[in-house]
Amino acid sequence: MREPAAPDPVVEAYKKNLDRSLIRQNLRRSVQERLEALMELQSFAEELRRSGRRIGTR
Amino acid sequence: MTDFKGLLRALTDANVEFILVGGVAATVHGSTRLTLDVDAVYRRTPENIARLVRALAPHAPYLRGAPPGLPFRWNSATVERGLNFTLTSDVGDLDLFGEIAGGGTYDALRPHAVTIQVFEVECLCLGLERLIDVKRAAGRPKDLDAVAELEAILEERRGLEQR
Repeated sequence: MREPAAPDPVVEAYKKNLDRSLIRQNLRRSVQERLEALMELQSFAEELRRSGRRIGTR
Repeated sequence: MTDFKGLLRALTDANVEFILVGGVAATVHGSTRLTLDVDAVYRRTPENIARLVRALAPHAPYLRGAPPGLPFRWNSATVERGLNFTLTSDVGDLDLFGEIAGGGTYDALRPHAVTIQVFEVECLCLGLERLIDVKRAAGRPKDLDAVAELEAILEERRGLEQR
């Protein structure tokens, strides 16, 4: 495995806000489980968008 | 919502040569971020373009965000004239790239791809380290945010390997 590139201060700043417990949880899943979780998230995001549109049309 | 199963099966059943990149590749490697489309780099040979066209034709591909009714024809001539395509289809949104910034073509990316097995098919996904390089090359703020997560995934993986 290659050595990582020199740290980018912007990337390092973003890293401080990461929830590593979520990453660890995801790494315990299979690839298929990760894609299925993404589909659920997409579905949830779509439902939120629909709700937002309904509010906007009232 | 993207029908990953339908999309990956359509492409692999037709023997299309492609590599998953972008947000979905990040998901494959463990990213928790939401991505709404599938990014794939396809091989720009006449045979593969014909397979790609055949694979997606039943799924009504159309230019995403374009007004309806444009004389867009999903055929080999269209793909050969263009390079990168931002499409919508009945299996979800799909960005097809002949080449990507920081990564190049299918042939350039192929040595850095890993085989994944998902939804009872096998396909190629860009490896985590190369994916980080490509995201870094894109350089948009959202890409640097993604790089941060991908590097954290790499660090977590290395930590697991050392245990």
